[in-house]
Amino acid sequence: MEDKKVYILGGYQTDFARNWARENKHIAAMMREAYQGSVEITKIEPGDIDAAFVGNFAGELYCMQGHLSAFFVDFDPRFVGVPTIRFENACASSAVAALSAMAYIQAGIYDLVCLIGVEQMKTVDAARGGDYLGTAAWYEQECTGIEFPFPKLFGKLGDEYDKRYGLDNNYLARIAEINYANAKNNPNAQTRNWFMNLEHANTCGKYNTTLSGRIKVTDCSQITDGAICLYLASERYAAKYADHRGLDIRDIPRMLGWGHTTAHIEFARKVADSAGDDYVLPVTRKAITDAYKRAGIKDCWDLDVIETHDCFTISEYMAVDHFGLTKPGDSWKAIEEGVIGMGGKLPINPSGGLIGCGHPVGATGARQLLDAYKQVTGTAGTYQVAGAKKVAMLNIGGIATTNVCFVVGTKN
Amino acid sequence: MIEQIKCAAVLGGSGTVGSLSGGLIAQNGIRVYFLSRTAERAERGLERAIAQARSEVIARNIVCGDYEHLLEGALKEADWIVEAVAEDVAIKRQVYDKIESHMKAGAIVSSTTSSLPLDKLAEGRSENFRRNFLSTHFYNPPGRMLACEVTGQSDTDPDVVGFMRDFLRNTLAREVIPVRNVAGFAGNRIAFLLLARITALAEEYGVEMMDYLVGPYTGRLLPPLATLDLVGLDIHKAIIQNLCEHTNDRMHDWLVLPDYINKMIDNNLLGNKTRAGFYKKLESGRFVFVDPATCDYTPAIEPHIAFVEKAKHFIRMGMYKEAFDTIRAADGKEADIVTDILCAYVAYAYLLIGQVTESRFGIDGIDRVMSFGFNWASPSVILEMLGGRENVSQLLAKKGLTVPDTLQAERKSAMEILEAGKYFVAK
Repeated sequence: MEDKKVYILGGYQTDFARNWARENKHIAAMMREAYQGSVEITKIEPGDIDAAFVGNFAGELYCMQGHLSAFFVDFDPRFVGVPTIRFENACASSAVAALSAMAYIQAGIYDLVCLIGVEQMKTVDAARGGDYLGTAAWYEQECTGIEFPFPKLFGKLGDEYDKRYGLDNNYLARIAEINYANAKNNPNAQTRNWFMNLEHANTCGKYNTTLSGRIKVTDCSQITDGAICLYLASERYAAKYADHRGLDIRDIPRMLGWGHTTAHIEFARKVADSAGDDYVLPVTRKAITDAYKRAGIKDCWDLDVIETHDCFTISEYMAVDHFGLTKPGDSWKAIEEGVIGMGGKLPINPSGGLIGCGHPVGATGARQLLDAYKQVTGTAGTYQVAGAKKVAMLNIGGIATTNVCFVVGTKN
Repeated sequence: MIEQIKCAAVLGGSGTVGSLSGGLIAQNGIRVYFLSRTAERAERGLERAIAQARSEVIARNIVCGDYEHLLEGALKEADWIVEAVAEDVAIKRQVYDKIESHMKAGAIVSSTTSSLPLDKLAEGRSENFRRNFLSTHFYNPPGRMLACEVTGQSDTDPDVVGFMRDFLRNTLAREVIPVRNVAGFAGNRIAFLLLARITALAEEYGVEMMDYLVGPYTGRLLPPLATLDLVGLDIHKAIIQNLCEHTNDRMHDWLVLPDYINKMIDNNLLGNKTRAGFYKKLESGRFVFVDPATCDYTPAIEPHIAFVEKAKHFIRMGMYKEAFDTIRAADGKEADIVTDILCAYVAYAYLLIGQVTESRFGIDGIDRVMSFGFNWASPSVILEMLGGRENVSQLLAKKGLTVPDTLQAERKSAMEILEAGKYFVAK
């Protein structure tokens, strides 16, 4: 990563509380707003953009619209002829788009890539939307005829933790409480005005129904509409960008390290494979440790913030030990000791994460990258972790099938 | 003056405003008394508060009861007493008699009214009452509409007003709009003048056509006459009458209540609460619209006007500037109606800077109340969408409307305009 540096130049997030179907908007409108916002913030000249990469999971299902990257050309007359690609890797779609953008930049093909993550999900009712999400798993094998398959599959991850190490559901409720509390500080978070407390997260009832075993509504991330637009750049472009703005290039965040792994798509097989391993999801752990190695960091305590993929509370519980905050199976200790809260030794999801900020599936990886950028540049505003210089993010697709981890920082 | 709100009492806790604002307080771990004429009515308020929070656990912070049995104890304990009873001076005075008898020294008393004169409500009360009496005007439903207008009356301690603004902002997460103590404050004053104008135009052009022409694509989540069905025509009438009586400005003659509205009220066509107002939904799911000439319902005409459809398409694709360029370029009486209403909105809002809000805040408070109280694109955003100050000044002059000096206030940034995209709905 040292010889071919890839920089992040900032970007824009749409308000995740919006319902774009209620506004009767096309998914391209969301992409357009994200793009326009990113130009306002970065002041990047549209003519400088070499390519646009779009991460999106299921536009064909939710919006009856594929080929989303082509809409980018409509956003500015100078974009006619600019190459665009759409990437799909379930919930990790935009992280995979970012990996690909890095590869193109490191290969010297492009200097500046516009990265858009987008998903419009409120076009269908919850049951149908839940069914569509099942296509991120092995649909035929794991989801056919099952209502809300994903909470059930992630419930099995909780069961596996329980079997190997014991699992107190109160810690899952604490994770929900922390993410909702963090989201209240994030002006773009979907749940920023929602009510939540630990008692509610621990309650089963009319307003917190059980979806599967230990997974209740408050353990789940939200059905969200949202888009992110940000920019990845070569050192050559970043130097020019810094020069024009009177910045020191060393203060511009870059991808310090990355890890990318894929496990068996079928959850049962993943778990069977990990029998005897220290970690329940060793393939996910490998993505994280690969990113650490490439970033030249020893362990998680070299980080200031983590933005992780809490599609369910159990996913964050898993991330705590897989990032190495505790030894395997001891994630509860980091929660108990206040390590992961704002003000803790290593805050997780100051943004509110997927549970609090929202989870527009194909946009989440880009959202995490943008939040990492904001933390490192001190521009996260009301959810800033003071002095943050290195941030890791984990974006997973399916039931931790695709795993992408980035370490973002300035390395000053 | 109290230092902290640990307990609140809501009088009128069975009503929508009382129960839902009380629910917000309870969500923050504060003990709240829901008081009503009967305990059963107060319990209905509790159910509303639970539904708003989507959580039963807030019930542990709420105590329901009737005035006869619970009022005295609640008033003695409460640090903040919220009066949310019917908009009637005599009824409120009776309630204040009871509050004054039992409230503790320094407790804050707020009314949720925006229409009744606060000084009149405080008249003849003790110094303790008057120093601590103000209006906290929540918008409905407060779970979704964040605006809250706040003002004191002549004798209110400024520290009390400041304390409540901070509490509402920091604890209840409200968009607090400091307003002057004038009828209708900022939001209702502006919105209902425009709504009144649209009811008048509906006599000539029809209900469906007016909601089509100045519908959501012009910067509002709901069509204007559908909004009045939600408000209730009886409430609309009361607001218009109050504004007619207690305000006077250059656009006062727009504050009309056409005869057909009175007929609709007489016929119990009050809006959503009577399942028939400007709109009526048939069993088939189709809507019919009231004919102002007869107060009977007529089938939908489903208007289709080229410039409106083109503007809606641009909105659907997120091209807001292009949508408004289309509106501005359109000719004909329909286009004139649209630009008349939009220009009047801008002109009236800017005219009221300094009258409904303090001049030093510019258009900010008015902008926020229209967005967070009504889900309308703010006047300053519409000003920019119509081409900025010079273009709007020319348009106003052409339409015979006065150009307010305050139109020269600060301009919106491109980012602020972009973030108003949520108020432009492709319908």
